[in-house]
Amino acid sequence: MSKKINLTLKVWRQKNCKSPGAFEVYEAKGIDTDMSFLEMLDVVNERLTKENIDPISFDHDCREGICGTCGSVVNGQAHGPVKGTTLCQLHMRNFTDGQLIVIEPFRAKAFPVINDLAVDRSSFDRIIQSGGFISIKTGQAPDAHSLPVLKGRSDSAMDAAQCIGCGACVAACPNAAAMLFVSAKVYHLNILPQGEPELKTRTINMVKQMDKEGFGNCSNEYECEAACPKEISVSHIARLNQQHRKSNFT
Amino acid sequence: MSFQIFDLSRSITKKQTVAITGLMLISFVLVHLAGNLFIFDGPKPFNEYAEHLERFGIFKKIAEWALFLVFLIHIERVTSLVVQNIRAAGGLKRYAVDNSRGPRSLATRLMPFTGTFLFLYLICHLYDFAWANDQGIRSMINGKSLGLYGLVVNSFKNPIHCWLYVVAMYCLCLHLTHGVESFFQTFGIQDSRFTLLVRKLSRVFALMIMIAYSSIPLYVLYILKI
Repeated sequence: MSKKINLTLKVWRQKNCKSPGAFEVYEAKGIDTDMSFLEMLDVVNERLTKENIDPISFDHDCREGICGTCGSVVNGQAHGPVKGTTLCQLHMRNFTDGQLIVIEPFRAKAFPVINDLAVDRSSFDRIIQSGGFISIKTGQAPDAHSLPVLKGRSDSAMDAAQCIGCGACVAACPNAAAMLFVSAKVYHLNILPQGEPELKTRTINMVKQMDKEGFGNCSNEYECEAACPKEISVSHIARLNQQHRKSNFT
Repeated sequence: MSFQIFDLSRSITKKQTVAITGLMLISFVLVHLAGNLFIFDGPKPFNEYAEHLERFGIFKKIAEWALFLVFLIHIERVTSLVVQNIRAAGGLKRYAVDNSRGPRSLATRLMPFTGTFLFLYLICHLYDFAWANDQGIRSMINGKSLGLYGLVVNSFKNPIHCWLYVVAMYCLCLHLTHGVESFFQTFGIQDSRFTLLVRKLSRVFALMIMIAYSSIPLYVLYILKI
């Protein structure tokens, strides 16, 4: 059964990456507990617009937990307090009546604030671009089993490919490292025959680009895995470390 | 296709340098411990072991300088990583609410501090034992110089000195708890099936090192009669 709750929001407001930001407090009254977190923000924004206040900017797209566009730090946790969900799939039933909710953008040097809670994550796109191409035969559909893949390998590749690139790993990492993202993106291609020929260049180039974008370094604290809405394992980071080492020496 | 050049400044290479120098330092910690434990056998075996090391002459000097170099590399690389990390996170105070969900432990949080403390303690430790005159006044027990053994016993008979050593070993324990576990992850000799096992084993290892080292000053202070 849904019910109505009243909340106090402490939201980070910032015009752009050059201007300093600050917290503003807003009341969110009569929020349906079946609403998602973003729907709650929509309700607050409608009221703010009527009151001639700039609505709170936040990133969103599919609102189904699969696109990786949304994401904010809610009460100190990337994507909020529920494990394995994105912000759009976080429902207001996880909050209590009268609760104070602190909402901040993902904070990292490589994710400059665009406006309020919206951050520029194009550094992730540039890392993906630096990975380059994969070798596949184009043309007609290939015969079934023309490229045999072991079951374990295909499972591992699918686990890594679950990464939606939301940036929660960077937001949760005390060092703002992007290792979980990069390792997942490197690994889901490296382990398959289609991605194997470019394994070394892909690994080195993506790590190079990651460093260039100003992300931090992994200190094996595993906060990323805990915050990841797709629960991607840190063992991918170990595999990236291993493949980077091997790529370095050849 | 672009070709990669071996680049020591890349983040993963930097961490692997820290890991490999860390492993070298751990092996030193173990060898040093083996030597230290001769103290339980009394003055003669302990001093003989120390003299035996001196007999290596030039090789001992080379080993000492190599160890010093390993220390320097470990510290320099870590410092560079920490500075980068603070910059990447946009300063030390990041979120208004500090509420991490993951397994971040005290040992992990304190890594730079336990490391710094150990380094400072190491200087005192070298000043106390390695650079001290082992035939001087501080090595005298009952009016007779007992060499390095006397030096160690006299130092640890002072409770402040003894407990400072134990605190330093606690720091070493915390440092190794995270360090050993991290070694496996950073070198990629890790699998999700073994994560918990590796964590437990590194804790046990670090605890054993602490107990073994701390037993020496505690034995001297509370059990040894001179």
